[in-house]
Amino acid sequence: MAGSGSAFEEAPPETAAPEAPEASQGLAAAAEGDAEEIAGRRFEEPPELPRRPLRRALLLAAPFAGLTGLLAVWEVYVEVRDLRPLTLPQPSQVLRHVAENPGFYAQNGWVTVQEAFLGFVLAFVAAVVVATVMAHSELFERASTPVIVLMQSTPVAVLVPIFLLWFGFSPWPKILTAMLFAWVPFVANALIGLRSVDVDTHELLRSVNAGRWEIYWRLRIPHSLPYLFAAGRICVGLALVGAVVGEFFNSRDGLGNAARVAQSRLLVEQLWGSVFVLAFIGVAFVLLLMAVEKRVLRWHASQAGGHRGIQA
Amino acid sequence: MSGRGPAVGANVPDDGLTTRHSGQPFGVGASAAVGADVSADVSDDGLTDAAAVSFENVSKWFRSKARLTHALSQVSFSVEPEEFVSLIGPSGCGKSTMLRLAGGLLEADRGRVAVHSRPPDEARRQKRYGFVPQHPALLPWRTVRDNVSLLCEVNRRSSVAGMAEHDKLAMLDAIGLTPFLDALPQELSGGLQQRASIARAFALGAPLLLMDEPFSALDEITRADMRYLLLDLWRRNAKTVLFVTHSIPEAVALSDRVVVLSGRPGRVTTVVEVALSRPRHAGVEDSDEFHRILAEVRDALRHGWSH
Ligand SMILES: Nc1ncnc2c1ncn2[C@@H]1O[C@H](COP(=O)(O)OP(=O)(O)OP(=O)(O)O)[C@@H](O)[C@H]1O
Ligand SMILES: [Mg+2]
Repeated sequence: MAGSGSAFEEAPPETAAPEAPEASQGLAAAAEGDAEEIAGRRFEEPPELPRRPLRRALLLAAPFAGLTGLLAVWEVYVEVRDLRPLTLPQPSQVLRHVAENPGFYAQNGWVTVQEAFLGFVLAFVAAVVVATVMAHSELFERASTPVIVLMQSTPVAVLVPIFLLWFGFSPWPKILTAMLFAWVPFVANALIGLRSVDVDTHELLRSVNAGRWEIYWRLRIPHSLPYLFAAGRICVGLALVGAVVGEFFNSRDGLGNAARVAQSRLLVEQLWGSVFVLAFIGVAFVLLLMAVEKRVLRWHASQAGGHRGIQA
Repeated sequence: MSGRGPAVGANVPDDGLTTRHSGQPFGVGASAAVGADVSADVSDDGLTDAAAVSFENVSKWFRSKARLTHALSQVSFSVEPEEFVSLIGPSGCGKSTMLRLAGGLLEADRGRVAVHSRPPDEARRQKRYGFVPQHPALLPWRTVRDNVSLLCEVNRRSSVAGMAEHDKLAMLDAIGLTPFLDALPQELSGGLQQRASIARAFALGAPLLLMDEPFSALDEITRADMRYLLLDLWRRNAKTVLFVTHSIPEAVALSDRVVVLSGRPGRVTTVVEVALSRPRHAGVEDSDEFHRILAEVRDALRHGWSH
């Protein structure tokens, strides 16, 4: 295909002269419609966007206010009912305990974060690999669906003792538990995502004989991202639960272990402190994920943006 | 079928043909030359061997669990190299199906479809046609610029290089997309999205264009403008175009021939010659000849409806 579409802007020499004025007029009107029209008219300032600083500030403050409100009600409730700390300590008491032992919580928190994170990543990778094969092979899909349903409906926690038998006092039982907790939502969503390809775009790529892998990378993977992010948000929590459950069974460190030890020795503040720190870690991860999602899925309808964004 | 000979390479008004062939070394040079050589040499069945696209007694059914749809029945016609042919017919008569057959995206159940005497699937593998689907089908995460180059990026093994960057920018400018190159499709109006879809097909630099109602989302005025923009691009780039439309004025204004189809199952009722001189401008739509042909196509459509 040498010189395909060459000399685009050169009109044929014979005809160019007589028709030039007419042609260029018609072309300009047709071609530059949206852009040039504006230049012809008087330049019009866009209206000032309503600033409403109070509303902005309120929107920013609302999540913190909600959280503070919850803790305040809790605090007052315990005070008024005069509950024993063993039944329910005041949040101020718990927070003080956390603040007084930052090293303890940081160290155990770090252990749990590592286990949960590794479990999360492994679940993600395994799910995408399996869903990819499932999306490309009906045979494999039919064969693997019952296995996945089985894993979905088995209480994964009972497998932890088995993992302990296999791996002993290593981080692996906990990582595996975290992975198993997280992976079912990942597979299910990845499969829906990889399948939810737009037929028109698919046909377009077929019109240039795009290969399977090209369709996979250029079409299927981007289409599955919104589903994977949605699953990711759920799975952050699940992976943390998995890691903590693993630590309950057998561990020398981690927040799950801290909570278990605290429970057996009636260290109420440490028990609740572990809960608080775990909740904080979960929220931090979800926020991080949402920030990434906002960047990656700039194009997707779930991100309010563009002129069709749905405003609350 | 058509009482009129479908091979019209020779019937295209002289100035039209010569202006397009002369002095322009296009990527389709080889096929264009072949077309010019043999367009006079019409074989017995009325089809030239060098036809860019040819349908011979093509029938197509769609089978699903619920029903069997007879989409096309014994369709025959051909498109000569660098010819502009429109398909017009009632909704659901199989126009999109015909484009898909021509592009090797579907297989005919009976009859033969060929692109330059070869199976259409070969043209598809070699990226020898640009497809403009009925919906713009832009990838929402790619900017307009990246969407336009999508077809060039995939399947690089085929030898098609795509339009040269410089020509591509000129084409984008002519089509009015330059201010929107970095926008995402969702930021564009429906009409601009269709322009991007057309630009994407042109950017491939292939000698054949299969266009499925590319102007359907445009208002009447823009639509009329787009016709002459498309003709201009077509003239400068030497393409064969198979164009599906619902609009009679559009078909007449654009085409060398209009293939009129009956309601489902689609069959060719008539092939109407459009002997308007080229290059055409908006003024052509005020001419008597234009209106005469318009009426002819309309009557053929009405006639086909009752079949
Ligand atoms: N993949 C398919 N499976 C089943 N039936 C189909 C399929 N594609 C098309 N059809 C049927 O074949 C017939 C022709 O469809 P086609 O899309 O080619 O019509 P069309 O002329 O392009 O219509 P329109 O003008 O509305 O776009 C229709 O009745 C349609 O329902
Ligand atoms: Mg159609």
